[in-house]
Amino acid sequence: MYNTQLVQAVWGGILFGSVYGLMALGLTLVWGAVRLLNLAHGAIFIVGAYTAYWVVSTLHLPILAALPVGVVVAATFAGVMHVLFIRPVIGKTGFDNATLVATIGLSISVSAAALIIFNPEYKVVPPVLGGSHNMVGVQITNQGLLVVATSLALFALVYLFLTYSRQGMAIRAVSQQRDAASLMSIPVVRTYGVVIAISGALAGLAGVLLSPFFFLNPSSGFNPMIQALIVTIFGGLGSVRGALVAGFVLGIFESFVEVYLGVAWALPGVFLLIILMLIVRPNGLFGIGEVRRL
Amino acid sequence: MSVPAAVGAAPARPQADREAAPWRRTSLGTVGGVLLLGLVLPWLLVRLDIGNFLVVLLILFFMQAVVAQSWNLIMGYGGIYSFAQVALFAVGGWTTGVLAHSLGWNPFASILFAPVLATAAALLIGLPTLRLRGTYVVLLTLAFHELSRVFAITGPRFISGGGYGLTIVPGFPLGNVGNDQRLIYLYYIAMGIFSVATFVIWRVIYSPLGVAVTALRDSETYAVSRGIDQFRVRLVLFAISAFFTGLAGGYMTHYSTGISTSVFDLSRLIDLLAMIVIGGWGTFMGPILGAGIVIGLDQALVGIGDFRALAEGVIVALIAVFAPQGLWPTLRRIYDRYLGPEPEPAGQAEADPTVGGE
Repeated sequence: MYNTQLVQAVWGGILFGSVYGLMALGLTLVWGAVRLLNLAHGAIFIVGAYTAYWVVSTLHLPILAALPVGVVVAATFAGVMHVLFIRPVIGKTGFDNATLVATIGLSISVSAAALIIFNPEYKVVPPVLGGSHNMVGVQITNQGLLVVATSLALFALVYLFLTYSRQGMAIRAVSQQRDAASLMSIPVVRTYGVVIAISGALAGLAGVLLSPFFFLNPSSGFNPMIQALIVTIFGGLGSVRGALVAGFVLGIFESFVEVYLGVAWALPGVFLLIILMLIVRPNGLFGIGEVRRL
Repeated sequence: MSVPAAVGAAPARPQADREAAPWRRTSLGTVGGVLLLGLVLPWLLVRLDIGNFLVVLLILFFMQAVVAQSWNLIMGYGGIYSFAQVALFAVGGWTTGVLAHSLGWNPFASILFAPVLATAAALLIGLPTLRLRGTYVVLLTLAFHELSRVFAITGPRFISGGGYGLTIVPGFPLGNVGNDQRLIYLYYIAMGIFSVATFVIWRVIYSPLGVAVTALRDSETYAVSRGIDQFRVRLVLFAISAFFTGLAGGYMTHYSTGISTSVFDLSRLIDLLAMIVIGGWGTFMGPILGAGIVIGLDQALVGIGDFRALAEGVIVALIAVFAPQGLWPTLRRIYDRYLGPEPEPAGQAEADPTVGGE
């Protein structure tokens, strides 16, 4: 019994931690490079998830075919959002206001659209991998293992991409000193677009992979987004490493609270933890202040 | 300035900047006229066929305008991106609802505690968050919103009412009067709250506090270097804003004899945001105008149902990006150009605080 609870808590923590990390990765990339707090991140999440659901339920294709479709649609959505609502205000005063309001407006529109197209009922997106293992009485699904592995792999991929690829170097340059990057003939606005599209793809992927756990309804993007925001602050805004570590720390913390104190305490517990964190270390675990990011 | 000039000016009160002290040039006649119209209007309206409905809409307008104004006070003027507005509204609503329903208090007594608790909640959120930069405020206030939502749904039964909120809160005890009469009294209470809130917010905006917070919004470094205590100014402003938000929440609970957990829906948030953004972010009249427009459109577009939230979100996003000033400054410009008094030659510069900015 005791063991079961412990394993339950640890497994839940790793699973949700990796997912929060995946969501937070997209947020933190966009914040680091564009200085944009993307409140439409949760909306992009459900865009990916609903697309996958639609491909599976209407086109009767396997979920493995739906996965890339969902990711591509989510990335496209993010790209369109960039072109229509973010590019016009880049570099203008009031960028913060405009993008904050625009992204929250869009996210509510997406929820409303989802409500119109797919009614408010909970949808079930089938897991990409079926089956499960049993470990001291705790069911560990293959889908869960897949999510953890994907998330870790993506962190590695994004890290390598940022460190070694030309495009990644451009992103880092833009995030460190936009004007200097522009003088080195880095296409700043296009780089922003690339970052936002990548972040959209990550959110979409998280949406497709996660929906089997959460079920899907028009407002189910909100909670993962809040969790991702919390992870992002906890790890330090704009820090990729921070997002990974904080994702697991918060996931495991929340999972332990849930298992030992009850579900109702999970969110207040996390909230309290983050407030303590902000008092002790206002820049987050790996926050590097204002000058260097990513 | 030479020394004698400074000494000479000292006894007479220095000429206040007219922009900074607008109450010096506000005509009491206009304000009195509007107030009188507000007092008489319901008596005329209830004689119409759809009059009662119009009075109900006016009551809604008053309350929404109070909430939008208080939000604009901190978002538009203060540059504090707080998304806790709906949650604070709910704190006010639940406070008075629980007191009146569970403890059987008189609603007129219990509603007094709504703004108090909302202010306390605001201080509680403000203390850890307002020291931090804008982004953190967004994150933490959104988290507070979610936290309150979850608590309202899963909290103890006297709060959650089993997940639906409070459904049987007593209304205001207005004595044994007819329906029309009752509605008119409710209207007067709403109008009273609206007038007081509007007046206080107006005075706050043009007080040293308001100027300080606008300075912080426009250039934090400079304002701080001039000795403005950033944290304290923001906290006080946040508390004022929460006070009226909570009061409006309390009123709405007794007005609709209940408060449902659906107040936390994001569509409520976008309604309020639309009022500020459409009317004019960071202008005094903007949210009031916006509240009128959104409530009016709401009735006009009731036929399109779910598409409303969709359209509203996109419209808000488009305005925020392409016309961030909103409607009020535009109307103001048209008025000044064609209908207003001749501008004084002494360079009435375009001192309108520009929207947003660092």
